[in-house]
Amino acid sequence: MKKSLLAAGLAVALVSGSALAQMKPEVMVKQRQAVMTLMGKYWGPMAGMMQGRVPYDAKIVQRNAGFLDNLSRMPWDGFDAATKDVKSAALPVIYSDTAKFAEAADRLQNEASKLYAVSRSGDEAAVKAQMGAVGKSCGGCHESFRQKQ
Amino acid sequence: MALLRSPAAAGLFILLLAFGAAAQDAKRGEYVSKAAGCLGCHTEEKKDATPYAGGRALKTPFGTFFGPNITPHREAGIGAWSEADFLRAMREGRRPDGANLFPAFPYPSFTRMNDADLKDLWAYLRSLPANATPSKPHELGFFYRWRFLVSIWKWFFFTPGPMVADAAKSAVLNRGAYLVQAMGHCGECHTPRNFLGGPKESRFLGGAKLGETAVPNITPTRLKKVSDAELKELLRTATTSDGDVLAESMSEVVRNTTSQLTEQDLDAMLAYLRSLPALPDEGK
Repeated sequence: MKKSLLAAGLAVALVSGSALAQMKPEVMVKQRQAVMTLMGKYWGPMAGMMQGRVPYDAKIVQRNAGFLDNLSRMPWDGFDAATKDVKSAALPVIYSDTAKFAEAADRLQNEASKLYAVSRSGDEAAVKAQMGAVGKSCGGCHESFRQKQ
Repeated sequence: MALLRSPAAAGLFILLLAFGAAAQDAKRGEYVSKAAGCLGCHTEEKKDATPYAGGRALKTPFGTFFGPNITPHREAGIGAWSEADFLRAMREGRRPDGANLFPAFPYPSFTRMNDADLKDLWAYLRSLPANATPSKPHELGFFYRWRFLVSIWKWFFFTPGPMVADAAKSAVLNRGAYLVQAMGHCGECHTPRNFLGGPKESRFLGGAKLGETAVPNITPTRLKKVSDAELKELLRTATTSDGDVLAESMSEVVRNTTSQLTEQDLDAMLAYLRSLPALPDEGK
């Protein structure tokens, strides 16, 4: 009994521990880019609403803010040092100044979870203000860590 | 008529007219201030900072410039200036005492603005609440501190005087050129500079390097890949059609300037940009 538990535990440890390490850097880049693409999908409609150019829809905002909140936590382990040499718009400073990058990543996660919280309050003005904060955290990170296109 | 018979009432009437006109000028001036993007450099980069009270750091190869306080405070701001002083600063790049202003203040662009806009802008700045925050001194490299040396720079790179409309081009294209070159001062970042910090005119809006970051080419080479509708959305929301968010330096320009422009002005700007020669991207 004990033996099999130990074996199972060991197997789990091996699988989870090596999951990222064994992943090809190209795949990691592709995956983190996919997260960014989806963030764009759910952010886009909100940017229009923030400007008042698209009618404000509390339901869509709440749903998208929830998705964004989850997505905002996903890309970061994809910026592994192993991906350094894979061609992408990610700047080398991500891997040299990891603390500064982590700070920018935290900022997005904080702002996105705040957005989800206010989106449920139904206070349109507060939601739009928080959208502004999310937009700034996106742009702030792109400023320092992404090659301009 | 009875009102005008009394000299006192007539005086009051004229005074009211004058105030009304000043308020009108200030209102137009507010739009000019947005189109010229004054807020960015003249406001500290922190939450709840007082607009136009100065403090933004602008890092350049020559040192760090701090946007000064331009509220009407007599000591801290420009409250002691006259309208003529203001016009001279914008058009000639000179302080009221005659010393050169550093071209980190983009007067090589602003000099092309017309008198009417400059006067409206002055009226608007006068209408702001005075703020006592002192302007921070610039932190410049040893050789770049002397304001008289700027005269040499000006001799090379600065042609004062308002823009003259090109009669061969439509009113829309002329308005667009005015918005991009004179007020928007887009070239200050999107045109590359030589080692003296002078713009390379042959590469106008062809993209540049600002420190570590690359500023994109905004001539038709790149713009032709994007529709007017997409570009307008980008300049209104700082978000592309696929939801990608622009870097913060341009996002700020979008918040302060391009999203605040009228539909006609945005159209004119795009029409003008599309009429420029398509410059190839510079080798990286």
